[in-house]
Amino acid sequence: MSTSDGSVLGNAQIFGSAPRSRAFNVVMLADGFTSAQQNDFNNACAAFVTAFTATPPFDELRPAINIFRVNVSSTDSGADDPVATGGTGATARTYFDSTFGTNGIRRLLTCNNTTALTVAAAQIPEFTVSIVVVNSTVYGGSGGSVGTYSLATGATEIAIHEMGHTAFALADEYPYYAGGSETGHDHHPATEPTEPNVTINTNRATLKWNWAVAAATAVPTMSNPSCGTVDSRPSPVPTGTVGLFEGAHYYHCGGFRPEYDCKMRNLGVPFCRICRQVIWNRIGPLATLPGRNRTPINVVARFPEHLDVFAVANDGRTMSNWWDASSGWAGWFHVSGGIASPGNAGSPVTAVARYAGHLDLFTVGTDNRVYSCFWDRASGWSGWFTIGNQTCRPGSTVNVVSRYSDHLDLFTTAADGKVVSTWWDARSGWGTWFQISGGVAAAGATVTAIARYPFHLDVFTVGTDNRVYSCWWDERSGWSSWFPVGNQSCRPDSTVSVVARFKDQLDLFTTAADGKIVSTWWNARSGWGSWFPVSGGVASAGSPVTAIARYSNHLDLFVIGTDNRIYSTWWHDTTGWAGWFNVSGGVGKPGGQVAAISRVTEHIDLYTVGSDGLVYSTWWDGSGGWAGWFALGVT
Amino acid sequence: MPTSTATQLTPHKAVRLIFEYEGDTVRLISQQDVEMAVTGFDMPGVDHPGYYVDTRDAAGATLARVAAHGAFVGSAEVFPERAGEPITRVDVPTPKGAFTVIVPVADNANRIAVVKIARGAAAPAPGTRDAGVAAAAPAVAQDIASFPLTSKGQPTDSGGTK
Repeated sequence: MSTSDGSVLGNAQIFGSAPRSRAFNVVMLADGFTSAQQNDFNNACAAFVTAFTATPPFDELRPAINIFRVNVSSTDSGADDPVATGGTGATARTYFDSTFGTNGIRRLLTCNNTTALTVAAAQIPEFTVSIVVVNSTVYGGSGGSVGTYSLATGATEIAIHEMGHTAFALADEYPYYAGGSETGHDHHPATEPTEPNVTINTNRATLKWNWAVAAATAVPTMSNPSCGTVDSRPSPVPTGTVGLFEGAHYYHCGGFRPEYDCKMRNLGVPFCRICRQVIWNRIGPLATLPGRNRTPINVVARFPEHLDVFAVANDGRTMSNWWDASSGWAGWFHVSGGIASPGNAGSPVTAVARYAGHLDLFTVGTDNRVYSCFWDRASGWSGWFTIGNQTCRPGSTVNVVSRYSDHLDLFTTAADGKVVSTWWDARSGWGTWFQISGGVAAAGATVTAIARYPFHLDVFTVGTDNRVYSCWWDERSGWSSWFPVGNQSCRPDSTVSVVARFKDQLDLFTTAADGKIVSTWWNARSGWGSWFPVSGGVASAGSPVTAIARYSNHLDLFVIGTDNRIYSTWWHDTTGWAGWFNVSGGVGKPGGQVAAISRVTEHIDLYTVGSDGLVYSTWWDGSGGWAGWFALGVT
Repeated sequence: MPTSTATQLTPHKAVRLIFEYEGDTVRLISQQDVEMAVTGFDMPGVDHPGYYVDTRDAAGATLARVAAHGAFVGSAEVFPERAGEPITRVDVPTPKGAFTVIVPVADNANRIAVVKIARGAAAPAPGTRDAGVAAAAPAVAQDIASFPLTSKGQPTDSGGTK
């Protein structure tokens, strides 16, 4: 019984119209269907399509899903069904050699995975998962790299559960290995599972799905009183409540699942909230990102061949995408549930890389408190946690500076406009929030900060009189008083962008009350210069000026203009300021922002929300000039 | 974004690999160029325990690491015919089967390796904030098979691909 027992007849797309190169492509393969029975296979595939695409969250992700059937004829109908495991004794000559009774268990229906994968790849090279449909009404199926199921009633649920493992790396959430009567499964080992939907951690603050747990939900939500047995009591909370339910990952106690029930625990029930999120983060990244129009995008280069981009989706959720020189763009995904930053105005996510294998993120949540999470190469993404109890202005920006790898300084505005700060140090943890030298920011103003060297900070904001103010901190002298930087009157919601081209120089950029783009500088030898307009540029109302220094004698600026086009200019010490020019025909949103980064000196990457609401990018390279804008997704 | 020079990124070069295994023995069945985006989901950038497939350059440096879901599974799931009955698992004495991955292929990739990552001796507690650069014990990676990369992925246009 082998490929000599039939032939591949061809394939047909039976669902979806997404580009195959950016889609979740499901391939269904026929086994045990004779030439005359192909219509039965077609009907089985249609039934699967109906069940699968109605299953949340696949129902919401349908635009990114394609389903194909591959018609394969077999010499005989059905599958092997050995007598030794309670079967009929049937032997069937089929293309994929499907058989019941694997491992002595009749319901364990398997096939030749190598043949199945090879045929799937030959027919649909872009396939994501492959499923073999076996022409038998005997109940059975199995998982692994190829899902297998029969035509028995309810067997499609096997395929969807197994897809949870194969395509989405989800763990089993059931609390036993062999039905509950087994030994050695009373207590989960003291090792955190790597899968996203099971845990041994009972700490609400650090629980990996803490973003989905309501404050009123008890943690643990349900504990097993007798670890020698499976806890079969009903749920103490309404269906759909996310919490911490004991009994998961093959153990009666010590392992926890997010909801009382889930398709990864029982067939015939929906996926839990956490599994739905994981599935979203597998399929969603195949799409582009509709971004929130005016919420700034942040970008970090942990090393020159890698970029991490953070944006806020138009539904307020925190999103990230990354690019690596070896693999391209990874696609947009929700950061730990992505729910921390809706706010009213949409707080941006700010990010810093203290070292190449670590990211720290900060935002202001819906409760106007400061949230953080981190990614570490050793452990992946953490859950979100609050930093103290500081209440901020809705939509505030949390700016972060890492003066050295074991230290962070945070700056934002309190609900009453006070300029506040806190810090984290590897040796002492988080400090308490404090107001910086009595400073109060204008409504909508952000607080920017820069460390010209490890033991010094310069802080800037727009004060309540709409003038630019600064103060500094030095390890030897502590915080200075605030002082006005010249007499420039600004838009109250202006951002003061600051660049240190070298440690004794600061260049400041902001927008005047009439929108004109203005600049000044500070130098250790000459002190503060006067404010001056930059090449006559005027910004779209509310659009901040982005500045980067690729060399110590060069500056590049980016802004959205009054016609909503994306403009740039540069300054070079020998030629002065250039005129503003439109970057590759790009058009942004009124009041939008252009994020810029130079990961190597002869290269700039830009990000913005385009006029159609999608997040776009382009780049400049010293050898090739500006590229065209492209909608940022996956490559 | 209506622009006069809008450019859609062309897909990164990629190759589909199909492996067959029995116990610890791995055989590469096929390499196939494929125009397919590989998302961050399959390239987590985190050395969680499990099986992965690397692309490597001539010096042996890893260029991309893709998770091999469903590979080397040591047990099988048995599903209940009647609602309310438990799903169970049975051990598979000698794991045997096949798996496939799609790996992005950089221009300087010339080998592929199947890698097993085991947990480090003192991994951090879940979700705890790191206390500095040395907080997490490194995972232990072991090559269990290595093969020359003969396929180089789809040719791409020069424009638009980073």
